[in-house]
Amino acid sequence: MAVDRFTSGIIQDALQAVGDEMFEALRRTSMSPIIYEALDYAVGATDAQGNLLAQGNGVTAFLGSLDSAVRGALEHYDGGAGLHPGDIILTNSPYRGGGTHLPDVVTILPVFHDGRIVAFTVNKAHWTEIGGMDTGSLTTRSTEIFQEGLHFRFLKLYEAGHLNTSLVELIRENVRLPDDTLGDMHAGVAAARVGARRLESLIGKYGLDTVLAAMEELLDYGERMTRLELLKLPEGVYTAEDVIEEDGLGNGPFTIKVAVTLKDGCCIADFTGTAAQAPGPVNCSYAGLLTGVRCVFKAVTNPDIPANGGAFRPLEIICPPRTLLTAESPAPVSLYFESLIAAIDVVWKALAPVAPNHLPAGHKRTVGSTFISGRHPDTGELYIMGEPLLGGWGAACDADGINGMFCCGNGETFNIPVELTEARYGLQVDQYAFHTQPGGEGKFRGGKGVVLDYRVTGEEAFLTVAFSRTRSRPWGLQGGREGSLNYAEVLRTDGKVERHSVATALALGKNETARLYSASGGGFGDPAERPADDVHNDLKNGYVTPEQAVRYYPQAGGHEPT
Amino acid sequence: MSSTVTTSNRGRYRAASDVGGTFTDLVYYRVDGGTGAGGAVHSVKTDTTPPDFETGVMASLEQAGISPADLDFFAHGSTLVINALTEKKGVKTALITTKGFRDVLEIARGNRPDLFNFNFRKPAPFVDRYLRAELDERVNHKGEVQTAVCLEPLPALLDFFKAEGVQAIAVCFLHSYINPENEMQAVARIKTLWPDVSVLASHDISREWREYERTSTTVLAAFVHPLAKKYIESLEQHLLAGGFTGKPYMMQSNGGIATTDAARSNPIAMVESGPASGIFAAASLGRDIGEENLIVLDIGGTTAKCALVENGEIRITTEYHIDRDRKNPGYPIQTPVTELVEIGNGGGSIAWIDAGNRLHVGPQSAGALPGPAAYGKGGARVTTTDANLVLGRIDPHGFVGGTVQPDWNAVKAAFKPLQDRLKLSREELARGIVRIANANMTNALRLVSTNKGYDPRDFTLVAFGGGGALHVLALAEELQVRRVIVPVNSAVFSAWGMLLTDLRRDYLQTCPMALEPGNAGSLANAFHTLADRAYKDYAAEGLSPDKHEVVFEHHADMRYRGQEHTVKILFPFAGGSADLALAAKRFHAAHEKLYTYRLGAELQVVNLHLVANVAVDKPGLPEKPQTGITPEAAILRVRTVDFDPHGIHEAAIYDGLRLEPGMTFDGPAVVQEASVSMVVPPDYSVTVDSYGNYHAGRTCEPPA
Repeated sequence: MAVDRFTSGIIQDALQAVGDEMFEALRRTSMSPIIYEALDYAVGATDAQGNLLAQGNGVTAFLGSLDSAVRGALEHYDGGAGLHPGDIILTNSPYRGGGTHLPDVVTILPVFHDGRIVAFTVNKAHWTEIGGMDTGSLTTRSTEIFQEGLHFRFLKLYEAGHLNTSLVELIRENVRLPDDTLGDMHAGVAAARVGARRLESLIGKYGLDTVLAAMEELLDYGERMTRLELLKLPEGVYTAEDVIEEDGLGNGPFTIKVAVTLKDGCCIADFTGTAAQAPGPVNCSYAGLLTGVRCVFKAVTNPDIPANGGAFRPLEIICPPRTLLTAESPAPVSLYFESLIAAIDVVWKALAPVAPNHLPAGHKRTVGSTFISGRHPDTGELYIMGEPLLGGWGAACDADGINGMFCCGNGETFNIPVELTEARYGLQVDQYAFHTQPGGEGKFRGGKGVVLDYRVTGEEAFLTVAFSRTRSRPWGLQGGREGSLNYAEVLRTDGKVERHSVATALALGKNETARLYSASGGGFGDPAERPADDVHNDLKNGYVTPEQAVRYYPQAGGHEPT
Repeated sequence: MSSTVTTSNRGRYRAASDVGGTFTDLVYYRVDGGTGAGGAVHSVKTDTTPPDFETGVMASLEQAGISPADLDFFAHGSTLVINALTEKKGVKTALITTKGFRDVLEIARGNRPDLFNFNFRKPAPFVDRYLRAELDERVNHKGEVQTAVCLEPLPALLDFFKAEGVQAIAVCFLHSYINPENEMQAVARIKTLWPDVSVLASHDISREWREYERTSTTVLAAFVHPLAKKYIESLEQHLLAGGFTGKPYMMQSNGGIATTDAARSNPIAMVESGPASGIFAAASLGRDIGEENLIVLDIGGTTAKCALVENGEIRITTEYHIDRDRKNPGYPIQTPVTELVEIGNGGGSIAWIDAGNRLHVGPQSAGALPGPAAYGKGGARVTTTDANLVLGRIDPHGFVGGTVQPDWNAVKAAFKPLQDRLKLSREELARGIVRIANANMTNALRLVSTNKGYDPRDFTLVAFGGGGALHVLALAEELQVRRVIVPVNSAVFSAWGMLLTDLRRDYLQTCPMALEPGNAGSLANAFHTLADRAYKDYAAEGLSPDKHEVVFEHHADMRYRGQEHTVKILFPFAGGSADLALAAKRFHAAHEKLYTYRLGAELQVVNLHLVANVAVDKPGLPEKPQTGITPEAAILRVRTVDFDPHGIHEAAIYDGLRLEPGMTFDGPAVVQEASVSMVVPPDYSVTVDSYGNYHAGRTCEPPA
């Protein structure tokens, strides 16, 4: 049926608002800092077929997860025949339906009207603990999925409104922080219910047919807007190749390769030639690849177009099975996000030369996952500090890169305030600052990476880090120099310094320090073209050292101005 | 009354002045020297006169025929602080931090809200890196001084700042919220070495944890400090020169007023004073007429602001940001601000069509200049105001208070390209614009109500600002709100609110602890410490404790163990001790309301929040006189008005100023005041209360 255009627009805006409401509900109710501070989650709604209608993200890297999870659930439950009002489904299976790694748990609620499914509300959030071989359920040393934690494949947490207490008790006994984990579980349910209530009230107000028609128009609108943007980019085939250094077990490097074809308002990303799946947990399954390509696809079209299924109709992804980006059971996937980001980065690298207004030079390209666990010296209780590390972004065609920001796979991700870290964990932070390592010189300078020191105040603690871009560097554009590297140092009390990039549960003693360095981004344009005034300004602000100025920017006169 | 601030008997007027972006409003009434009763409320509007805003303020007094010598009470609100911040027109500011942390201000929280924009620009820090210095010092999270502050580098550092033209310095050390000793020493030495510089310590601005937020707040306060100080002093001098014998009060973001001394020492507390006074006024009005649960809506020229009042209480938050929207993280300001949601939808919001042929309204605004097309000042784009004019909802004869003839040619020209794109008549397009504007505002109203676990049907909607009366009944219908109030003189309601306010100070203190009997003593001590600070601060401003009773409200920001975000509750604290069981009960209930569930986890207090009020002596509100005329006598004329979606009708246009208490009339109608049109669709009726406010509701309840 035809809906008048204003009503349809208003319903479409209301669907977006449903996403906002669910987002807020999940943030506020969660028990895990990784959700409420790092906002490592996404919420959304789909139509009855699993087409994404609206999504509210805390991080970019869940963009392919929600709709594919719903489609997976439909498939699992006989096209929906096995679903009933009051059901709520949990899934985290990496190999089917929107899963990525086991801590990212999807909650799905079918919305019924007059006995049939009319929509789904869905969210995906990173639970702090899901069990498995290492504290925090993130590991760099797994060889099979079975070591990585509890695996739910489309289980009913609620069946016709009744809580599945056996499932709850199973979770409680298999995770290290059951209160937090069950809190996260409740938060997902609360958010899905908030969204369902609003959808029901929209249907109550406008009528089912009108709302369904508006949903369809929303998808068409997304497609129309996206194709218009695609047509602004030059047609052609653009290729790029890069590496992921290691898989956690000492294997690597692994090649990631793409050929992007832009033609007739369509985009095809072909990853043929990418390395086979790795023995270690750096593998990414198809949902992760889908997410990654969708992210950069949105970045080069128009980030403002609402993220919905229609907007992704012009996108096609090709990748053979069982590669690093299409891993299958029982491949370990705990560190999947590093490959996902590398997939974003390689498409970005391919398209940056033809989309300079959308894409700057290469950035630090790692989440910089850092976990430190131990016993709090004041209370003796177990703590797990988990935080991504922010770093430098690449220079743009008209501006220096951003100093100190989370990677492209993150987004509305917040660092943990030092004052909270110190109160909550047995750690003291001794510095949190931009470092002055060389890298990223150019007409426009790459953004600065940071150095962050965690000193252990308890008797002992265990450090887990999983970085990439540890030997390869963020790429420059048009003559701009490469950025610097991501790595961690352990400063022992005997004065020894160890360097690490991927490690699990390294033991640290009292007063030993985990010092984290994040990369500075790549530069844009020949450093010789940087105006001397800008170099003087960098020297004054300490973004560039006098030695670096002499070496890379001789035009500035070779000495620090007074 | 010994318990209140008694103002001089010599004066005869109470007045409040609100400096906005375009106009400076003055609202005032006369106080009878004999009976002490208040007279009728009047208002005048003059042009705002940047950068010397006091000129406009004095002009408004002159236009009202009031000499400063005749003033009993003068309260003042200004956008000076927020404008200086958003336009980055403060002074050159330096920052001193704990060694190792000068980059916290620039690192910020590392977030990128514009998720799919890989060419994102982070907001620039207010202090460049070369003006961010560090001192060797350290306090740990328990408040223990690990390293005393080393002040040796200060003389050379201050010489450098001087040479660089620095005019203000912010000092923010880690954990100073719990132990400010090192900060105090550093600031004391700076004041000795450089007495003329504006220097602010973070613990004087905020006692909450989160170092980036506290640093940002202190930096922004320092950035505007010299300007605010100069402005307040200049205003005082002008008033003094005019014979004013009292002290002016400055409106604060927390819904109260402060003495000029307090405002000078912490100017950032004025940052959202404009919306605060309107929300406060609505809460106060609600209390007077027995409506304690309100959704408050203020529709201005560029934005609409919504807030919730529950049981007569305004919600205060310190999680406030400027320049923040869906794409921009903005800058945090950790100061008590009335909790509100602001969206880019006001009378001046521009209607536009995107590449996919969808019509949008806002957030871009035509502002005061050029303003809506109908102003005839060169505005070439259709705004919500133009759409309301086309639909006859705004009276062309009373446009901008009757001072401007709508420029119909400009309106037609502005509509034309949009009509061509969408192939619609002007009226159809205008209806679409109003409907979209209403939908935008409805979504914002949901953010403060349903999103927080409240049912709008349990609330009364109070609308004011230039556009409040135009839209409110459509919004009420959408949200199924049954009762609506539009205050008389709703266009100057915010200024009016300042005449109702009392002195208020908010003290927040981060002191995380479990809510358990063993901590009852610590809790009581912490509240007593805050109360002592309040007594001391008020005494420093010349309020003597024997004469002025300080009335305290106790609040606490609490959470379940493991959570980070807190829920504020009214903390049961009486006779010097806390009722922990009741506190727990309140927290569980408040948490469940907001988040749909409660947990068995341990409860923790994160922040204590003490509100210290001192009442200002003021007469009760004057009631509007009744002369016994009929409502029909107040009808100015009959006009065709489009009440979409309730059809086009001949509507009676009532002169709001002539309407009297007790009158009732039905829609279709429009109530007309200078600068205000209240649109009353069919099936709605309006009753005038004893103060002249308009109460509206449906004539019959809609079918369920």
